[in-house]
Amino acid sequence: MKAPALKPQDIAKRSDRLTRIRAEELAPLPPPYEDFNTKPLTELKEEKIANIEASLDGTVAIGIPKPKNREEEEKYLKAFLSGLRKLFEKENNWTFLQPLLLSMEHCAKCQTCSDACPVFEMSGRQEIYRPNFRSEVLRRIYRKYIKPFGKISAKLAGDIDLNWTTISRLAELAYRCTLCRRCASVCPIGVDNALITHEIRKLFSQELGIAPKEIHDKGTLQHLRVGSTTGMNPMAVKDSVDFIQEEMEEVTGYKVEIPWDKEGAEVLLLHNAGEILAWPENVGAFAIIFQAAGISWTLSSEELGYDVVNYGLWYDDVQMARVAVKHAEIARKLKVKKIIIGECGHAHKALTVIADRVLTGDLNIPRESALVLLDEIVGSGKLKLDPARNDFPVTLHDPCNVVRAMGIVEPQRRILRKIAPKFREMTPHGVDNYCCGGGSGFAIMSGYNFAEWRVLVSSRKKLLQILGAFRDEPLEVPKYVCAPCSNCKGSIRDILEYFRAKERSRIYYGGLVELIVNAMAEMKKPIIKFDEA
Amino acid sequence: MRIYKQMKLPLHVRWELYPVKHEVGEKAEYGGSFMEEVNWWEKEKKSSLFNEIQYMIPEILFLRGLKKENPRLWNISFPFHFGFYLVIGTLVLLVLGAFSMVLGFPISPGRGIVNSLIYYLTILLGFLGLTLGTGGTASLFRRRLRDPELRNYSAFSDYLNLVFIFIFFHISLLAWLFHDHAFAGARAYIYSLLTFGGTPVGFAESRTFLGSLAIVLGSLLIAYIPLTHMSHMFMKYFLYHSVKWEDTPNRTGSKIEAAVLENLGLKPTWAAPHIGADGKKTWAEIATSGGKDKK
Repeated sequence: MKAPALKPQDIAKRSDRLTRIRAEELAPLPPPYEDFNTKPLTELKEEKIANIEASLDGTVAIGIPKPKNREEEEKYLKAFLSGLRKLFEKENNWTFLQPLLLSMEHCAKCQTCSDACPVFEMSGRQEIYRPNFRSEVLRRIYRKYIKPFGKISAKLAGDIDLNWTTISRLAELAYRCTLCRRCASVCPIGVDNALITHEIRKLFSQELGIAPKEIHDKGTLQHLRVGSTTGMNPMAVKDSVDFIQEEMEEVTGYKVEIPWDKEGAEVLLLHNAGEILAWPENVGAFAIIFQAAGISWTLSSEELGYDVVNYGLWYDDVQMARVAVKHAEIARKLKVKKIIIGECGHAHKALTVIADRVLTGDLNIPRESALVLLDEIVGSGKLKLDPARNDFPVTLHDPCNVVRAMGIVEPQRRILRKIAPKFREMTPHGVDNYCCGGGSGFAIMSGYNFAEWRVLVSSRKKLLQILGAFRDEPLEVPKYVCAPCSNCKGSIRDILEYFRAKERSRIYYGGLVELIVNAMAEMKKPIIKFDEA
Repeated sequence: MRIYKQMKLPLHVRWELYPVKHEVGEKAEYGGSFMEEVNWWEKEKKSSLFNEIQYMIPEILFLRGLKKENPRLWNISFPFHFGFYLVIGTLVLLVLGAFSMVLGFPISPGRGIVNSLIYYLTILLGFLGLTLGTGGTASLFRRRLRDPELRNYSAFSDYLNLVFIFIFFHISLLAWLFHDHAFAGARAYIYSLLTFGGTPVGFAESRTFLGSLAIVLGSLLIAYIPLTHMSHMFMKYFLYHSVKWEDTPNRTGSKIEAAVLENLGLKPTWAAPHIGADGKKTWAEIATSGGKDKK
């Protein structure tokens, strides 16, 4: 029997576990995946979580060390309240002050947002994942502890206790939302619970220095220190790309030259460096297309110039600004006309939309999505294309940051309609799409059992969508999920592997440029290869 | 006060959400943006007020978004909101009528087309508004009390708001039913406000308890709504126009750039060591510091 629904104030009540993820409550998967319907989330080992906060839901995203004594707990609480105050000060939070205030003060608590959230829906409607749950926790703390007459208004407008349990669970809970903003898009008033989640993350990072190590220590800090979140320094990148250049000729029979640090080039192409390591064919395919289309372009070998990711977008405005400024400085130094952002969704939003109000003067170098330039190239007829080479079912995943956050919806579809005769949409798609489940850093977070939680809960909707798009195709026919975003590709790779979709339904995945190159008549051999059935 | 506060806030980073309804052509429908075009910064940014209004009117009047996303709630929320709009419309008609009376043109049937229209429309809108409002508020209260999804997030003030509004609608409806079928008393009250205490010619003063109570409750409600989350009725403008649809790009030499430069001169005090803020360094200095040595 399901426990009575939790209320926001329950977050403060000490217990071993606030919520349990039960296999039987997760949204059911269709054949031939029913055996996964009984697959539970692996229990965390006691000795691994003895000293960290792990009392939310059986998984851990951050792993905040428990305070050793009462004084340390008090210190945490004081710092939390200090950070919360700063969220509402223009000196500290001019970046999001107005959107935050509007969303904090005008929610009618109608819960219309709940059904839009894939994490809430797929988890079997676990109360803590309801988009408004964590927002309401923050609203109550804000009203009670920051606003005047808080103790009185708490009695009228909703009470909550503030203790270590409250804040440590709230920090963890901020990493159970992928910031896809589907909730905001359906809110009749325009309240944005994802934004509130984003601000909670910022509070913890910018005031307490608390964030998942994958996005902070190994993420932005390593990015700024070494040049890439992958840990690659400029020399390692050049070696890897040289290898890709050779490999491309071997794979496709087409000789490609990848230019480095070409001053005055029209285009500086910025890749997610994860592509270089995990999906080198994506980097090679871009080079083939640009060369064949006669684009004047270059890569940069300067630190950060070969890694467009900007994890700051998800949790820390200062880190976001630092990375964006570096990218702009590199483009300015190379005197390029524009920056083209490769297949990386969050980098699209960070550098194009968010950094738009950070970069000024000669740092405000034009920035454009690769999908837009690719659309122009494919539409121009500069490439000789043979769509019959892509004679397999293709569906398109819409990265939230490219579609819902930027309104780049049609260019990728125009391309697919030209090169993929068996292209079909997912339901829903475009600005109504569902997140891959790996958004806001989830795709790279894998500590404890978090990666398993992701495939079981936050990516589950995407799996159902992919299966739905191919439901009329025989299992033995190879199928392709086109995901023009590195993080999305990573999480789609993980769900396909975990649920053995390649073996069971012959579902493969990749980017958009690979599909374009695969259709190019000049290629002697296909770049996309499927295993034998 | 709320509106003034919003207008004084600093420019924030872009956080638009597509579809942005002032986009042109089909883009407004499928959610496309100006960023779908190659070298968009070389072109003039087009925006369609018509598309925006076409979306906003049914959204404001008929709560189209709620009907699409949460039809079960719309069934009771729409009468509540529409009742409010009709009562606001009634108030406007009462003010018009009172003005007319100040100018010496009484509001009653057979006194010219305009005055007759005001007379009958006031009755129609007032009756419908108070009836829909009473029913809608009662239904919303019941739903909030019975539906655990709403109840578990509701506090005393949420119920109090609904009770207060219900009492206003209901008392006003009773006042209309028993004493003031033509809203003549309500109009006379507004007349007295406009004339600093005057009484309309030919109006036999017959102050009733229910009528007076309705006027007091209505006045209190007007003062109370801006203090609560119910101010979303008008703050929705900022939620949409200042955030969800605010997509103005930052061009060199623009007002946006000037506002960004002003923001970058602010001095943050965030305490995490990797930020390196000390209350003296500006955002610009911190953002360009590179953070290479930070931990």
